[in-house]
Amino acid sequence: MEGKVIVVTSGKGGVGKTTATSSIGAALALEGKRVAIVDMDIGLRNLDVVMGLENRIVFNIVDVVHGRCKISQAAIRDRRIKNLFLIPASQSDNKDVLTTSGVERVANDLRKEFDYVIMDSPAGIEKGFENSIVGANEALVVCTPDVSAVRDADRVIGLLYSRSLEPKLIVNRIEPARVERGEMLSHEDVLEVLSIDLAGLVPMDEHVLISSNTGTPLVLQNDSIAGQAFKRIARRLNGEVDLPIQVPNNNNSMWRKISKTFGFNK
Amino acid sequence: MFSELFRRFTGQKASKDAAKKRLQFSLIYDKLEVNDTTLTNLQKDIVGVISNYFEIDKDSLELKVKRDDDVSALVFNTPILQVKRKRA
Repeated sequence: MEGKVIVVTSGKGGVGKTTATSSIGAALALEGKRVAIVDMDIGLRNLDVVMGLENRIVFNIVDVVHGRCKISQAAIRDRRIKNLFLIPASQSDNKDVLTTSGVERVANDLRKEFDYVIMDSPAGIEKGFENSIVGANEALVVCTPDVSAVRDADRVIGLLYSRSLEPKLIVNRIEPARVERGEMLSHEDVLEVLSIDLAGLVPMDEHVLISSNTGTPLVLQNDSIAGQAFKRIARRLNGEVDLPIQVPNNNNSMWRKISKTFGFNK
Repeated sequence: MFSELFRRFTGQKASKDAAKKRLQFSLIYDKLEVNDTTLTNLQKDIVGVISNYFEIDKDSLELKVKRDDDVSALVFNTPILQVKRKRA
C-alpha cells in the first residue's frame, strides 16, 4: 500500500512549521510508521539542525530530484527514533532549481517506500510553496494566534483549496493565561475567522527552544507540553480520529490555584 | 476569570476582540479586493439613504461581518429613532 504525502505550510514564516514538521514526523515514527521528513526550503535549510542531523548530510532533495543519487542515499536515518528519516534541503541552490513535475515524481516514489512523507514548506506562496504542495495528499496549516499569521493562513488555505486539498489547522504557541485575559485570540476565534477543521492545539512551551538548541526530538521529552500536543496530532493523523483535541489550559492561574485548594476542581 | 470580570465592570474591551474584528474585515477586503475607503463610503451612502426615510442614531450604527461556511455577509445594524414625516 502506498503512503501519504502531507505538506506542512503556513504562509507566514516563524510560526513553528519546522518544529511541527519534525515533531509530528518523529511522533508518527514512534507510532511504528516509516516516516520521511523532507525539507523543501531550498537555500535556507533548517530541519537538519533542529533534528540534530546536520553533521550527517551527504546528498539532498535537489540531488534526488535531479537524479544524482537514490532516495536511500539522501535519506538520513535518525539514530534515536527508529524508522525516522530526513531528506535535507540543499543549502547552495535557490528555489528555482526544482520543477513541480520533478518534485511530484519524487513524492510519488517516496510514497512507495514510506508510510508518511512530510513536506516542510518554505514560508511564502511562491515557487517553493508550489513545489511543496504538488505531490501532497493532505495538508496541515500552522498558525499562531496573531493577526498576521491568521491572515496569511487564510490566504494559504484558499490556495490549498484551489488545488483540491482540504487543509487542517494547527494553532501553535497558545498562551492560555493571555487567552484568559483577553489579550490573545482563542482557538475558537481563529477557527471562526478561518472556518476550517482543526488538527490540534499546541501551547507555548519553553522546551521547544531548548530541544532545538541541542537538536533532540521534542516528542522524546515527556515533560514538554508542546511535544505531547504534537504526539496527539500525530495519533489523530494516524487514524485515531476520535482522539479528543485538548485545549491548552492555564495551570498557574491564581483562580485555579484557589479552586484547587478548596477542592472544587473543574 | 478575574480579569474577565474586571473588564466587564470597567467596560474595557479585550484587545483580542479588536484583533478578531479587524481580521474578519481584512479577510473580506482581501477576497473582494475592496479597500477601507470603499467600505466607509458604502456606509456613508447607506446612512444617507436610510436618513431620507428614518431618523437614525448615527452614533450607534454597527457594521459587522457574518461568516458562514460558504458565504460572507455584511450586516448593517442601526436603531431607528422615528419615521420621518414627509414634508408637504
